[in-house]
Amino acid sequence: MTGTQSSRAARDQDSSATGYEHLTPMFAEMAELPEDDPRRAELRNKLVTGHLPLAEHIAARFSNRGVPREDLVQVATLGLINAVDRFQPDRGTDFLSFAVPTVMGEVRRHFRDASWSMHVPRRLKELNLAINAASAELSQRLGRAPTPSELGRHLDLTPEQVYEGLEAGNAYHSMSLDEALSPDADSDPLGDTLGQQDEALAGVENYESLRPLIESLPERERQILTLRFFRHMTQTQIADRIGISQMHVSRLLTRTLENLRQGLLADPDGK
Amino acid sequence: MFEGTEDGSPEEIELRIGAVLTNLPIIRSLAASIAMRADFDLDSIADLRLAVDEACSTLITQGAPDAALTCAFRVSVDEIRFVVTVPSTSDAKPSSDSFGWRVLTTLTDHTATWVDGPDDPNSQADTHLVHIELAKRRTEGLPG
Repeated sequence: MTGTQSSRAARDQDSSATGYEHLTPMFAEMAELPEDDPRRAELRNKLVTGHLPLAEHIAARFSNRGVPREDLVQVATLGLINAVDRFQPDRGTDFLSFAVPTVMGEVRRHFRDASWSMHVPRRLKELNLAINAASAELSQRLGRAPTPSELGRHLDLTPEQVYEGLEAGNAYHSMSLDEALSPDADSDPLGDTLGQQDEALAGVENYESLRPLIESLPERERQILTLRFFRHMTQTQIADRIGISQMHVSRLLTRTLENLRQGLLADPDGK
Repeated sequence: MFEGTEDGSPEEIELRIGAVLTNLPIIRSLAASIAMRADFDLDSIADLRLAVDEACSTLITQGAPDAALTCAFRVSVDEIRFVVTVPSTSDAKPSSDSFGWRVLTTLTDHTATWVDGPDDPNSQADTHLVHIELAKRRTEGLPG
């Protein structure tokens, strides 16, 4: 357990802020062991488990952005394991300054890549992003959602390319409905819309079982449902109002209706 | 992109598929693909996709065991018409007071449902055919 003297000052500084200081000596210890020493695995385990709160902390900073929290913790933990494996204590930096960017990079990459189903090539993701952006711009200009041929002219793409890009959007991983919306993104308090919704729902036969299902929806999903089916706004108008893309509205609505149907099936007599 | 066949008559597309909920993604992808290629605007494409999803899931839950769903699309210059049919042991029409019906009427320009009795009144099978029909019109003011 030597080799940490040089970073003593840094360590002291860390210990006041982080509580991971008791782990630091293990890196040097591990680095000195031969590759095949069984104690390496043991130390590696201790280092990973000991730093887990760090991964959870970073995951928490990225939560409420439409990716389920457990997924983020998992990705951050993978990032942490990578960091533990690649950290070289003799380089003079402390582990945290090395690990934090590594883990954050891993989580960012997850947002960029893994929210898509695995098979969508990068070209299509980029195409889909370009179409999303063009769609928002054209909607503003036209006062309605654009057609594929309008998108094609705007982006200088063939119809087939536009179709491909639009279809790629459907492969985007549907987000968990349980994922709560970050509070600051909610621009339209629902208090007053709920009353109206109740009135409109009153004529619906399974009102009694439907109502609690709608009320238990996350705020954003309930808001989108209300705006589309009780206020008759288009998906593009809703997207504009809430500040997400039309494709995202579409995905959330699909998911919400699916869940309502399942909920109603589970309770067919509307007790 | 297609807007009917070359002679201007509507294009007809039919899909026959097992009436199980796990097949919904296939049917809604087809609906979206047809609307996209007919150059409907993105809102109408999304609406048709959702409506087809809703109509099919309604009939799937009403279908006889091991039934097949028949989905027929008819694409003309100004609208896409969709009829989904399932054989059922019951002659009950899907309720027009349900939330699902509200979803359908909000998303489309025309919604209808009807039931055909058994083709042969003496038939042992006693099978009824339940239909839901939807139409989505091309948004006005669009070129084409």
